[in-house]
Amino acid sequence: MESNAKNNPTPNINDIPDALFTRAEFHEELSEEAGFSNYSYWRSTIRTFFKSTVVKVIVALLIALVAYTVIYPMITDRDPYAVALSAREWNLPPSAEHPFGTDGVGRDIWARVWFGTRTSLLLSLAVAIFEVGLGVIIGAIWGFYRKLDTLMFAIYNTLTNVPSTIYLVLIAYIMKPSIFTIMIALVATGWISEARWFRSRILALREADYNIASICLKTPPKRIISRNVVPYLVSLIIMDVALTIPSSIGSEVFLSFIGVGLPADLCTLGNLVNQGRSAFLVYPYQMICPTLILCFITISFYIIGNKFADASDPRNHV
Amino acid sequence: MREKIFEAKDVVIKFNLRGHTLTAIRGASIDLYDGETLAIVGESGSGKSVFTKSFIGMLDTNGWVEQGEMLLDGVNIAKYKTEKEWLKVRGKKIAMVFQDPMTSLNPVKTIGEQIREVITYQFGTDKAQAKKEAIELLRQVGINDPELRYKQYPHEFSGGMRQRVVIATAIACRPKILICDEPTTALDVTVQAQILDLIKRLQKEMDMSVIYITHDLGVVANVADRVAVMYAGQIVEHGLANEIFKDARHPYTKALLMSLPQLGVKGHELHSIKGTPPNLYKEIKGDAFAPRNPDAMKVDYEYEPPFFKVSDTHYAKTWLMSDKAANYRAELAKAHEQTEKIEPLPPKDYSNGKKLVSVRNLYVNFKLNRKEFSAVKDVSFDIYEGETFSLVGESGSGKTTTGKAIMKICHTSSGDIYYDGMKVNGKMNNHELTEFRKNVQMIFQDPMASLNERAKVDYIISEGLYNFHLFKNEKERKQKVIDAMHSVGLMEEYATRFPHEFSGGQRQRIGIARALAVEPRFIIADEPISALDVSIRAQVINLLNRLKAEKGFTYMFIAHDLSVVRFISDRIAVMYKGRIVELAESEELFLNPLHPYTNALLQAAPVPDPDIERGKKLVVYNPAMHDYATDKPAWTEIKKGHFVWANEREADEYRKILK
Amino acid sequence: MTRYLLSKLGQAIVTIVLVVLVVFALLRFMPTAGYFSKEQYKEMSDAEKNAYLRNMGVLDPLPTQLYNFVSGLFKGDLGRSITLYPNMPISTVLGEKIPYSLLLNFISWFVSAIIGIPLGMAMAGNKSGIVDGLGTLYVVIIRAVPSIIIHFFIQVFLSRWFDLPMLFYMDQPVSWILPVVSMSIGSIAGYATWLRRYVVDEENKDYIKFATVKGLPKRFIMWRHIFRNAIVPIAINIPSDFLLMLSGSLVIESMYAIPGTGGLLIKSITAMDNPLVQILVLLYGALSVLGVFLGDIVVSFVDPRIKLVGGNDD
Repeated sequence: MESNAKNNPTPNINDIPDALFTRAEFHEELSEEAGFSNYSYWRSTIRTFFKSTVVKVIVALLIALVAYTVIYPMITDRDPYAVALSAREWNLPPSAEHPFGTDGVGRDIWARVWFGTRTSLLLSLAVAIFEVGLGVIIGAIWGFYRKLDTLMFAIYNTLTNVPSTIYLVLIAYIMKPSIFTIMIALVATGWISEARWFRSRILALREADYNIASICLKTPPKRIISRNVVPYLVSLIIMDVALTIPSSIGSEVFLSFIGVGLPADLCTLGNLVNQGRSAFLVYPYQMICPTLILCFITISFYIIGNKFADASDPRNHV
Repeated sequence: MREKIFEAKDVVIKFNLRGHTLTAIRGASIDLYDGETLAIVGESGSGKSVFTKSFIGMLDTNGWVEQGEMLLDGVNIAKYKTEKEWLKVRGKKIAMVFQDPMTSLNPVKTIGEQIREVITYQFGTDKAQAKKEAIELLRQVGINDPELRYKQYPHEFSGGMRQRVVIATAIACRPKILICDEPTTALDVTVQAQILDLIKRLQKEMDMSVIYITHDLGVVANVADRVAVMYAGQIVEHGLANEIFKDARHPYTKALLMSLPQLGVKGHELHSIKGTPPNLYKEIKGDAFAPRNPDAMKVDYEYEPPFFKVSDTHYAKTWLMSDKAANYRAELAKAHEQTEKIEPLPPKDYSNGKKLVSVRNLYVNFKLNRKEFSAVKDVSFDIYEGETFSLVGESGSGKTTTGKAIMKICHTSSGDIYYDGMKVNGKMNNHELTEFRKNVQMIFQDPMASLNERAKVDYIISEGLYNFHLFKNEKERKQKVIDAMHSVGLMEEYATRFPHEFSGGQRQRIGIARALAVEPRFIIADEPISALDVSIRAQVINLLNRLKAEKGFTYMFIAHDLSVVRFISDRIAVMYKGRIVELAESEELFLNPLHPYTNALLQAAPVPDPDIERGKKLVVYNPAMHDYATDKPAWTEIKKGHFVWANEREADEYRKILK
Repeated sequence: MTRYLLSKLGQAIVTIVLVVLVVFALLRFMPTAGYFSKEQYKEMSDAEKNAYLRNMGVLDPLPTQLYNFVSGLFKGDLGRSITLYPNMPISTVLGEKIPYSLLLNFISWFVSAIIGIPLGMAMAGNKSGIVDGLGTLYVVIIRAVPSIIIHFFIQVFLSRWFDLPMLFYMDQPVSWILPVVSMSIGSIAGYATWLRRYVVDEENKDYIKFATVKGLPKRFIMWRHIFRNAIVPIAINIPSDFLLMLSGSLVIESMYAIPGTGGLLIKSITAMDNPLVQILVLLYGALSVLGVFLGDIVVSFVDPRIKLVGGNDD
């Protein structure tokens, strides 16, 4: 759009009719029109987000993948846990019948990958939601009540001064291996950093003039939070959830690796990758196939999270 | 005529913004002569900064010079693209000083190093010699102990001192042209006066040409030989300083000068410019100022005017100057004569009325680096119902802290604050707090920060209505919002918009509407116009005064701009470093300032009249001048209603002055 | 200066105490079987087991146990390993293992800094160009793909392509290469991304624009102005990185069979060697707290605005 293209070229002054040199009517609304664009935060964020082709492709593929993991159990009658009794069915290379081949006891890896993807995605999504949710709530309380600083910083220092893997391993080890344990272990080690991060956001928001204006109007804290604070956090929360998913999947793989992860017979991407690893030198496809899917998921969420973070920053709405 | 050393011709600068191509500069031309000071005046969005940044290749990466020439030493630098080309110009031929000295220097390098590196790089001088030159430069810009200061870091300097360092760095390579982009806007008035003096002195010593970019007409009157006025990406009028100030021809320039509070008559409306300045998105047809000019002609809406010559040095870009408009000019002049002369209203005395707010021995202490200091020291005053009481002071004087303490959004260390008989500081029960919050409201300084960007105007204005249950049904609430919007001159259609769709002045009016929707009695206005464009300040001042008359508000006005304070206030208290040093009725304070700090403040404030500004002598206040060793100072009433912080000896002197 | 240091030190001690308490409490949730070696557990009767536990003090009330543990620490007695290295003093175990971790981690720390920092600067200097694109791709892969998978592929493929040993031998320096590569790739990505981000942040600041207007070229500004500022937030982590070398890398050491401290923790946890776990966690905590403490001091040297002495003004 060329904003000034419509300006008439000025003709020779003698050609301008004299009648134009008289008082024009004054319109108040014209004088108030500064010409601000109809900028909308969310529209601009989404437009900036989808401007990159990489994002478009990744989002499309990710939607397809998630849809497939949901649909797959409905359209197949293959049991991912079904062991083949005949040794001829063991360690088969990829074929039309077994697109990813079979493992050492003849289980179909294709089926296992999609069941595993579903479990891992649900697990990491749950972890992300709980971790970020806890982080937002505690961060908000922490940010609004400065008296909690001493207590919260003590907790923060205790939890972050020891590599989180130690807590992760300890908790995972103390409790019985189960999906629930892994969730608790991951949330327990992750929430405090989220809380601290949201605390600093909320502190910045709290000091903003418009919040002080609300205090001067005696707006109840409940409404200050719902109208003045939460709308500013939404984009941060989305970004944070997107970035927590790949790290939760990574932690699951790590825990499986050191042997304190989920029960080894459960289908998860972590278990599949680790089981494939032991046979890698002989039957590389048993590891490569699940690994490719896993890497696609983690990389996609990582890129989406980062691109969304960039897109949600108003300075990038150019 | 002096030699022309720089010339910009028909410059058009465009930007890419959110998928649109916007034109920031729409064919601006300017000449710069050897040894002169040219001031470019304009408000935000006029393009004054963008225009001058392009002279030195500093446009943001999404902007470019679309057409036009910039001739420096016969070379067209508008064509420069690469860094290598610009390096020949930057620092050596054209140098620049930025607005905010607090951010212009690298925080982790010594200031000496930052000056020395330029000399070494540009001239290949060896380090020891360059250091000597850098120290000499520091001395030249008025920094004491330059050898010692050379080794210090920026954070060890005050704002004014940093700006001196920035200037020393800018002139290190003896540029022919120095561009100063609002060099004193971030500084206090008294410091501003010193920096303006320094630049003037350096200009003579080094025979530079200076381009000043500013929105402050007082500063322009102080420094400029010639003035160019910018509006909506074009220069609309240029001429010698006296020609612009005494004989402005463009309707915008005229309106701008008339709207200055110095020219206002107390008790009456200021002349104000309607509407709001256009931003880059606005499509402009004809004369950009026409929609805001009630006296615009039909032709202004149709065609862009050319420049008309007023004198050899004075040109104005308005159809009003064409021969064809002679009849209309006469018509306007006649109308102007017929407007009656207005006399200032005599000051009102509110002191027999009720004391609405009382502050007694207020202290507010803060901890900084484990050291406690008092931001507010032993402050006491009363505000009577119906009056406008002003707190004036520079940054760090404690004026805003005092306001916040009264507003109950800042702690107090000792002392009492009463509103309508209720004690405000300390614990208040819920009923009292509701009563207090409903009756006391605040208007904030920065309209960009004080509105919730994610809420519609309708909610923002209704916020207080919800909190105090001030409506019976939805219809009544809507009506109250519309009433509040109308009373600040906003159209009711705006209720469904978000704040970012408004300009600064409009946003400030939304903030005022939010405060007055709850029908308060007392309003604290913290620098309500200092962040606004010059052309809309008068609107907001008028609005505040009109609301006071209509609704009987009592105001506490916190400000640093003395001209506004004088126009709007009934009584003024001057604060210095946490303490009130003088308090008097407004005119009395301006006519008979007693405390030396008040004197320095009044002297330093620039007046938009070149004749006054040029003859001005700087008065610098030095707190060490008081001898309070034995004769302790106290709060003394010198004459009825005129208080000063002084000891016995000083008080006697002051009494003599008043007699 | 001393007051500032003392208050920081106080905070550090409080943190270490809390870390010890938490881990101590967590370990009490572990099954008592952890206090026996496998053979002992099979052979002993329940009564013997009880006597053994009582003798060790495990059945004492928690405060007593804690007291014994802490007073042992003050006497320089770290206790003895139970299952993993039966009856060996933990100080001996650590004394043997720390040198391996220290050696490899020091090399990889050095490698990551000399590759990561220039890479970050190059990416920032070439924003949206090829270097930046490739660098970003590298960072995305390193950070998004679970590190174990990456380490595994490095071990398998690099050893094959470059004919390098797959396991670590102290006397064959060539076998150090793969562990060092594995350890470095993550921190290279870390240095590069953080530095790039800080540089890009600094680039938009006024003082950089002013330096440009002074007539200095971009390269000069990049290294003499931006780098000096951008390195400040990185410098704060240098002591931590350095100290945590002692703690080794959990995964990599077990993959390459490095007899360092890293693999020790996982092994001691899976072997339920409680006294060893306690000491290890204490060690990690203390190192990390000390790292933060030293980081504050380092920053005060890099950034003149942060003064350990009281500020001054004109």
